Amino acid sequence: MRIGLLTESGYPYVGGEGGLWCDRLVRGLDRHEFDVYAFSSSEAQEAAGRVPLPPQVGRVRTAPLWTAEDDGVVYGRRARRRFAEHYGELAAVLCAANDPVTPGEAPARPAEAPARPAEAPARPAEAPATPGEAPARPGENRMSPQADRFASALYGLAELARDEGGLLGALRSETAVRALERACRAPGAQSTARAARVADLLTVAAHLERTLRPLTLDWYDEEGLGAVDLCHATAGGVAALPGLLAHRRFGIPLLVTEYGVRLRTHYLTRPDSPPAVRSLLAAFHGRLAAEIYHRAAFITPGNTHARRWQERCGADRAKLRTVHPGMDAAPFAAAGESQASADPHTLVWVGRVEPAKDLVSLLHAFAEIRKEEPKTRLRIVGGPSGPDGAVYLGHCKALAAQLFPDEAAGPHCVGDNPVSFEEIGAPGLPTPADAYASGAVTVLSSVVEGFPVGLVEAMFCGRATVSTDVGAVVEAIGGTGLVVPPRNPRALADACVALLRDPERRARLGAAARARALELFTVEQNVSAFHTLYLETVARTPAHRPLLDDTGDPLPFAHPAEAHLPGHWTDAAFRAGPRWAADTPVPAPEAAR
Amino acid sequence: MTDLRVPNPSSPPGAADPVKALLHHHRDLCRRAVDPLEIAAGLEAHGITDRSAARFRHRDVFSLAEELYARVPRDGEPQRPLPTTPPPGRGADRTALVLLPLLPGVLCAATVLALKHTHGQDRLHAAAAGVLALALAVRAVLHRGPLGPRDRLPARSAKRSQTCWLIGYALLGGGLLGTALTGGPDGLPDGTAQGDWPLSTAPVLALALSCAPAAWTTHLFTTHARRRLDASRDLEDFAASVRPALFGTFALYLAALAALVTASSALLDEPLALAETLTLGALLLLSRLLTLHGFTHAPKVILTLTAAAQAAALATVFAARLPGCGALATPVETLTAWNAAAVPALTCGAAALILLVHATRTLTRASAHTPAAAPTVPHRKETPA
Repeated sequence: MRIGLLTESGYPYVGGEGGLWCDRLVRGLDRHEFDVYAFSSSEAQEAAGRVPLPPQVGRVRTAPLWTAEDDGVVYGRRARRRFAEHYGELAAVLCAANDPVTPGEAPARPAEAPARPAEAPARPAEAPATPGEAPARPGENRMSPQADRFASALYGLAELARDEGGLLGALRSETAVRALERACRAPGAQSTARAARVADLLTVAAHLERTLRPLTLDWYDEEGLGAVDLCHATAGGVAALPGLLAHRRFGIPLLVTEYGVRLRTHYLTRPDSPPAVRSLLAAFHGRLAAEIYHRAAFITPGNTHARRWQERCGADRAKLRTVHPGMDAAPFAAAGESQASADPHTLVWVGRVEPAKDLVSLLHAFAEIRKEEPKTRLRIVGGPSGPDGAVYLGHCKALAAQLFPDEAAGPHCVGDNPVSFEEIGAPGLPTPADAYASGAVTVLSSVVEGFPVGLVEAMFCGRATVSTDVGAVVEAIGGTGLVVPPRNPRALADACVALLRDPERRARLGAAARARALELFTVEQNVSAFHTLYLETVARTPAHRPLLDDTGDPLPFAHPAEAHLPGHWTDAAFRAGPRWAADTPVPAPEAAR
Repeated sequence: MTDLRVPNPSSPPGAADPVKALLHHHRDLCRRAVDPLEIAAGLEAHGITDRSAARFRHRDVFSLAEELYARVPRDGEPQRPLPTTPPPGRGADRTALVLLPLLPGVLCAATVLALKHTHGQDRLHAAAAGVLALALAVRAVLHRGPLGPRDRLPARSAKRSQTCWLIGYALLGGGLLGTALTGGPDGLPDGTAQGDWPLSTAPVLALALSCAPAAWTTHLFTTHARRRLDASRDLEDFAASVRPALFGTFALYLAALAALVTASSALLDEPLALAETLTLGALLLLSRLLTLHGFTHAPKVILTLTAAAQAAALATVFAARLPGCGALATPVETLTAWNAAAVPALTCGAAALILLVHATRTLTRASAHTPAAAPTVPHRKETPA
């Protein structure tokens, strides 16, 4: 199978985000061919070069998102009118008040709507009635009129770019700004959009121009994205746009993987812009996400949190498959198989030090723990992340020095602090596995967390964990560790003391955690989940290519018309003709007996 | 939702409406938000999960965010953040703005002085060195400061040869045309204004000196336009307020150039060449302004046409010497008889007029003043490993 892997500022570049994951995926599925279509996010990234690619990667095509070369085509009257029409339509959708259909629609659809072919033969008389009344099939949920307008405007712009070129210049032109202004002043526009000033319009137009750059690429031809069997977008948003166009032009099925939902990232990245800019861009990204989710054959969120956002943005539940991120379990195998190196009085915290990790709360909790279990020690392992983190680390060190005086074993020994701050790579701690292995209990005290990588590593090491209930922690840990509310040092302390006093429970929880992690979070499960999804996608929504004869002309009737029907078209239920025809000749099972 | 139980006296104040406390805590976020999802994203960034949303009697963060969005008071005019003032220019920027545009003028004046006080071979060397230094200085001015390209992309400089021709014509062309009409020239220019093929250095000196007013007025125009971008409510407003600024810039530059031409002609004892210098200066300023704002096509065409027209005028005069082609020189002769500087003044004047009309249409568009793209912040993505 030939897979078009669409990435944004990621895979083939050195140090790209999510690059490791894509690399493992591509290397793990060596029986498939991969074509990589990548967007680079900065000049520095392109200069840094690419990672070595395995032989199954056939071709790599890249396009910069940070700059764009105008092809110098200036539109004539007709093309300009066409552009103004589509762009105006797009702008009108962005300015229009939100229709409430988008979020709630998909979950509201009855799950039993697709007629199941397996049940149909038992009730042959009823079967012909259903296809007419229940048009809803997976992936066919109705679009709201606004979403439909958005999609047609988007594809209209793409068609224009294919026919005439020069879309980039047009997106930067006064025509675009004027269309935006007209849409903002139109009756029925949102009040935030109505307050847009000229500078806001320019910002929005520039952002749209950057985001719609993929429409102008030359990837969409028979040799490019038209030749793959499946498009796998490794992120939502811009990265999935080529997949959308390939789906539109060639019917290539699209698979979208999102570890962080792009719409949410967008909300968090521009908090200081004027309201008009935020509202228009939020509408754009929301609509784009909805369109991507609507067209995708499958959507694979990395965790429940992403899944909830996707459902909220209109993703059909039937298409969602959570695929947990995979992590390499091998470095943790030695630590996981023996508990010998674990000091029964040591708590370990591992991670990048930053304010969101709430180490202060951990230190206060440790003070409580020390009252109950005076011999306990705490190892805080990890360097600061950024200047904020460095300041915070200094603050935490000062707090630890205040809370806990140095102590020594006897009157003639040099004492030290029960809280130690260390970094990976220091003598005695060459790898993260050694850090986890050295403690009996691993603690996570964050107040904000995405997917807790450190927690999963601790699970691989088979250590009992106490963590705060944030982000995807509960989802990752399941029932194999203790979970306490965030910002609650007392609860954290109680949980730690309970585990410190009960080695058997520790061992039990640790073993269960390791088993859970090995089942859910390994690279192998991740790769095999995608392998299965690829096969399922292609089986359900194959890309139809016209068969050509020797002279290169399309061969008529090469595919039977029934091949385009979903389900088993050899079944009796799907060959059912009009209702009057179904009544007489079909013998009911009762009559046969 | 009608929970009419007597409130527990031991519960903290506000417990009956826990959302109110939350609203107070996140009031900036809620007031700023343009839709409920933005509040949801912000709440999650503050560590509120579906389980903590349950404490507020909501199913998930989304419905909690919807309640917050609905409850926050929203007055008609949303509060705008203060327009971001550009950071005060650093030392290098200030130099590029104030001192660098003076450089071509200074170098040109030095060259002219050198030409006056040298003879023979030395004069040739001085002229060559002066032209080279002047070219480098102009290049520097056009690459940095207000006349330089606004974003990192290099402005296309395909118009260099046309510009050189126009300036060369201002320097040599008038003299050549004059001698050609009377049967000359009998030798190469000797670098003075009195020889057989006289040089007119005053216009070139004035133009080189006018780099400074050009840069300063352009800077005024760009800053004004940027300020109007933030203040204007719609595109018509913007165009209406930028148009006078454009004309003002143009007039200011012309006034400065006129003063410079008058002064340099008086200093160098040359005939006052006001018309051709003003039109040429106007043409060059307008073409630079248009190029800076991304309209490269029109200046290129117009400059090429102007250069071609001047070349054609010269060519007809020489072609008229061929037997039977005497009539070719008549238009140029007539024009020159009317006014010695008619050819450059008319060609450059017409071209400048066309570019001015073009500029009033294009430079008043908001899209011409799109702020240079901010350095792209890579999206923070949550990715495994």
